[in-house]
Amino acid sequence: MHPNAETIGTPRRAAKPRSSFFFIWRGILADRYAMCGALILAFVMVAAIFAPWLAPFDPTVSFPRLRLQGLGTPDHILGLDHQGRDMLSRLIWGGRTTLFAGITPVVLSALFAIPLGLVAAWNDRLGSVIMRVMDVLFAFPMVLLAIMLAAFMGPGMVNMIIALTIVLLPYNTRVVYVAAQQERNNSYIEAAIAAATPTPKILFVEMLPNVVAASIVYSTTIVGNIIITAAGLSFLGLGVQAPTAEWGIITSDGRQYLFNAAHISLLPGIMIMTVVIAFNLLGDTLRDALDPKTRLALASRK
Amino acid sequence: MPRFVVMRLLQMIPVMLGVSFVVFISVYLVPGDVARTVLGQQASDTAVQALREELGLNRPLLVQYGIWLWDLLQFDLGYSISQRVEVASLLGEKIVNSFILMGFSLFLVITVSFLLAVFSATHFRSIGDRLTIFGTLLLASAPTFWLGILLLYLFSVKFPLFPTSGMHNFYDPGGFWELVHHATLPAIATAASSIAIVTRVSRSAMIDVTNKTYMMALRSRGIRRRRLNYVHMVRNALPSFVNISGLQVGYLFGSAIFSEIIFNWPGIGLQLYNAILQRDVPMIQGCSLVIALTFVISNFLADFIVRALDASER
Repeated sequence: MHPNAETIGTPRRAAKPRSSFFFIWRGILADRYAMCGALILAFVMVAAIFAPWLAPFDPTVSFPRLRLQGLGTPDHILGLDHQGRDMLSRLIWGGRTTLFAGITPVVLSALFAIPLGLVAAWNDRLGSVIMRVMDVLFAFPMVLLAIMLAAFMGPGMVNMIIALTIVLLPYNTRVVYVAAQQERNNSYIEAAIAAATPTPKILFVEMLPNVVAASIVYSTTIVGNIIITAAGLSFLGLGVQAPTAEWGIITSDGRQYLFNAAHISLLPGIMIMTVVIAFNLLGDTLRDALDPKTRLALASRK
Repeated sequence: MPRFVVMRLLQMIPVMLGVSFVVFISVYLVPGDVARTVLGQQASDTAVQALREELGLNRPLLVQYGIWLWDLLQFDLGYSISQRVEVASLLGEKIVNSFILMGFSLFLVITVSFLLAVFSATHFRSIGDRLTIFGTLLLASAPTFWLGILLLYLFSVKFPLFPTSGMHNFYDPGGFWELVHHATLPAIATAASSIAIVTRVSRSAMIDVTNKTYMMALRSRGIRRRRLNYVHMVRNALPSFVNISGLQVGYLFGSAIFSEIIFNWPGIGLQLYNAILQRDVPMIQGCSLVIALTFVISNFLADFIVRALDASER
């Protein structure tokens, strides 16, 4: 009798197809560091989304008599800034701006990079042109390119987001390009070509789901970095403008008051660091959960 | 090896041309008319026309680029609009100052992360190892501009151990230790996140090496643990250490811009920041170009060193 007869005769129940969310969820539950990261992020996100209801004061309203008061001032736990605005409210509202300005470019650049990378991997001639252009953008230090583009376009949130999207584009495109080149050699693509599937359909229906994972994994590892860069651009005065609460701007505002009110500069930095740590803790687990090779280990692990 | 060097040098030419073109074309991102933006809305039309002529904005794009590139090859980056001096004449001194800061930072990155990685890898999964990993997580997540302010607050304001700004004292110019004293805080701020990344990557490279079969063979031959760790493990992890350190040069350039601004270090990053504040277009272009080209060259040097160190490539 064939050793595998039993498995041949009574086919094992096919594994239930699971969505990526299932694996992400399992991964987070299994790893306490990822759990920590997820909790911190959930907390900050809720604070950012519900800022208008959660913040005790309007972030632009000032209490001139209490200006520069430090931590533990009655009614203002985290103190007040140089204009007498409540720091806690400014930090909550600032999170809203900083997170938006940091996350949007990552999503936007992925949206542009996926078609670019797919086309580059499919058509060699077009691909070499696209990748040479990307090589040139790679030759700039990331922060420098962001500063230069934002400086020429002029200050403002929209311009900063455009600048960061362009800066991220070469990195994201290369990730998609490499993933798509590997996919191209797989037999399902060969089958699709043999079945005379139109090229756009091969690229955007057959190949896309397998390439998106690579792009998402890359995005989760870079998002912390982009939040820091976005706050940095605002710190330089190139991003969000002054009366708006934003972590980079608050840090920059407090620089002159380091001698008597250091909390203005130091608190927003702690917020940025916390959020970035949370993203970094979560990033590793997301990478495992979205990679088809390692995700099954997550589901079986207790 | 000479073949590799020549090939890499030849590959650098199109990249450098591309970089210069990106810097050149970026001027067109300036909303509206560049000359008008620089001079302000009240400027007379003749003044705007004169500036357009001076900047060469009236000619076709490729001709403009050709002229710009030709001038660039003769180290002519145009006139600074705010300071009315040649950009190139200012940048020479600034780039030297930046190199000094970068040199200190790179020294910190290489020494600190090498020591931390060797310590962590040889004490794998000990408390010290865990603390190192936690420390690198903190350092990698701290924005440079904030870390600089924190260092400034702790070691210049609270405990005045280090000067708050600049490169030298006015009354006591020069002296190597004077320079080190001024460079310590900005160099730490610049190096921090790179130290974190290099430590992590080289730690795992060293752990990988420890698990290789040739290490097992050496261990079974009874070679002392100390010699095993500090000679064989380190030597074989060296190429990946140098590789990741080389990749940090780009990050260092980015971080240095922020620490130069915070510590008032008279380098090219501070110059770039001032140029941005004054909307001095030729100066922004000059600074960006110089930083980007230096970055291209330093990447080449890093590649070269990795190649020279890697036994399998020789």
